[in-house]
Amino acid sequence: MSHHTLPHHHAESGHEPLDTKAIDASVKLPVIILFGNAIHWLVVASLLSLVLSIKLVAPGFLGGVSFLTYGRLAPMARDLMLYGWASQAALAAGIWLMARLCGRPLGEGLGGVFLRTLIISATVLWNLAVLLGTLAILAGYSSGVEWLEYPGWASAMLLLSFLLIGIWAVLLFDRRTTGHAEVAQWYLVAAFCWFPWVYGTANLLLVWKPIQASAQGPIQSWFCGSLLALWLLPVALAAAYALLPRLTQNHLNRRHLATLGFWMLLFLGGWNGMDRLIGGPVPAWMTSAGVVAGVLFLIPVIMIVINLLGMPRHGVHGAKIIPSNFLHMGIYALIVVGVIGSISSLPSVSGALRFTAFTEAKTQLWILGAISLPLFGVLYESLPQLLGRECWNQTFSSRHYILTLVGIGMLVVLMILGGLFTGLALSDPTISFLNITSYSYPFHLLECVAQLLLCVAALFLAMNVSVALAGDYLLNKQTGK
Amino acid sequence: MNRLPTLLSGIFLVFLTSWLGLVAYPAIQLGRLAPVADADNGGTLPPTYGGQAIAGQHVYATEGCISCHSQQVRQTSITSSDIERGWGVRPSVARDYLRDSTAFLGSRRLGQDLSNIGVRRPDAKWHFIHLYHPAAVCEGSLMPCFSHLFLTRKIQGQRSDEALELTGEDAPKDGYEVIPTSDAKNLVAYLLALRHDYPLPEAPVKKAGAAK
Repeated sequence: MSHHTLPHHHAESGHEPLDTKAIDASVKLPVIILFGNAIHWLVVASLLSLVLSIKLVAPGFLGGVSFLTYGRLAPMARDLMLYGWASQAALAAGIWLMARLCGRPLGEGLGGVFLRTLIISATVLWNLAVLLGTLAILAGYSSGVEWLEYPGWASAMLLLSFLLIGIWAVLLFDRRTTGHAEVAQWYLVAAFCWFPWVYGTANLLLVWKPIQASAQGPIQSWFCGSLLALWLLPVALAAAYALLPRLTQNHLNRRHLATLGFWMLLFLGGWNGMDRLIGGPVPAWMTSAGVVAGVLFLIPVIMIVINLLGMPRHGVHGAKIIPSNFLHMGIYALIVVGVIGSISSLPSVSGALRFTAFTEAKTQLWILGAISLPLFGVLYESLPQLLGRECWNQTFSSRHYILTLVGIGMLVVLMILGGLFTGLALSDPTISFLNITSYSYPFHLLECVAQLLLCVAALFLAMNVSVALAGDYLLNKQTGK
Repeated sequence: MNRLPTLLSGIFLVFLTSWLGLVAYPAIQLGRLAPVADADNGGTLPPTYGGQAIAGQHVYATEGCISCHSQQVRQTSITSSDIERGWGVRPSVARDYLRDSTAFLGSRRLGQDLSNIGVRRPDAKWHFIHLYHPAAVCEGSLMPCFSHLFLTRKIQGQRSDEALELTGEDAPKDGYEVIPTSDAKNLVAYLLALRHDYPLPEAPVKKAGAAK
């Protein structure tokens, strides 16, 4: 059993020894329900992405049906990836990490039962909102605002549900028994405060009570940038900061770098989204701000990378390899995100590539790479501890890991290359648009293969988790009788 | 930074910068942009949309046109291909979106930019056939068929004036006709209204570069 991972670090702080078992027991049900739902949405989103990639090769595929057109499936897949999978997994990871790092169970006795019931009800509400929002897009009730396509009532449900869950993560921090706060905890507090602000502001001004459309452009960009850089990425980074030193049995060195990285990421994260509108219909200074923020974003990324990849990895073995690998790969993805992000923020590059698959490659690398990979790491690390036994099927785990990496790598490389080709062609007005479309055909064709790999990867993960949970259920049934 | 209030105020202050710059500023400044007078005909610019076009925006949103089509023409010292391609005669500015319910800026061009589709394709009939079966008029197009915005019905008495002139495989059976639903008509009205070929104070139309 591997219960030594989390809070032993702080056993010296003078408080009574922390009972990780009690902490895990207090968050077990909410965390498992959140992760479980997140994974089934990941499977659905991956299947939809596969269908979408096929549609770019054969536009007639599943054609002639209103609710299966590209324009409806694309926002469904993206929103499921953002809210069904990533945000929900981030909530799960956030609660487990926060409880462990704060050395406190999520409420005790009756209060604990009440809290768990509340969080589980909020989770049901979250998933209901995702389901109904998705069906609304399918049925033709999309708001038409990128990444905010859910109708107003569905996004209000999401926000309410988030508040009901997220507040406990922040309160846990306030009532921690460990005294000293870790970098991971700052990231978590920040992320849990930002989501309501970002999502609430954007919905208010773009969906619930849209302001005059001349002002919507910067707000849309700010929302997309902030959702990734200020909500999902901080949770992924919290996971890396919390788990990597423990998994590799190192202390985090260069803590000052972590502090500086945190505040810089926080500052630039909000401005970073403006790279979506470089050269667009916004005041010139906003374009400049987008360029500067996009280029500077590489600095906190480098600081974080030095922090997290500077640790020797020879201490990792056995069941810890998969979570540690996922976390490491997430950091590598972040490096690429930072590099591509700063290159593509340069006005000349953005001018040629902004509307091509290159931009999509960047988004995919954010969501599937820098954000999802660390979240997978938390899942693989937390579930055995929550269930109190090694629960993973090693074959499924390693297949999920390999297929995910190959899938993401292939997808991103194809999109970058495809983007470069079409971007250069688009810059030459003598090449007709339909001609350019035909250039991207081979890339689109191979993207189908990449999406298929990602689908299979998601299915392996789903099987792995199902088997683990079914095993737990049977075990409890036996011991119960 | 070990105490929650300290940490929270730090987070709040830093986050406030981008919120003020990219949310509050646009809401106050760009959100109050007003139409300008049109010297030529005494109207205002950008022109208002007709009722059908307003309803058409809703169809544009719900069908997810934004997944593949942008609505922004860029012109900087470096980027000039949008205009050279004929997608507009001047760069898009914030005021251009004043009459829209949602700014459909878009982030990917799997299809063409539509800021000036009403200038490039002023014929409603072309749009109906294109929506019904894009590849019939644009060979190699990736656009899906929006045939669900049309109705195939038995011709009663005389053939409707609205019926699509379809040929080849698309043509309906003898005695039948394909007519656009109100959604299709509204969408096309909106597409035809997408024309930003007039000058604005902050975005004059250069005579030499103009289409005509």
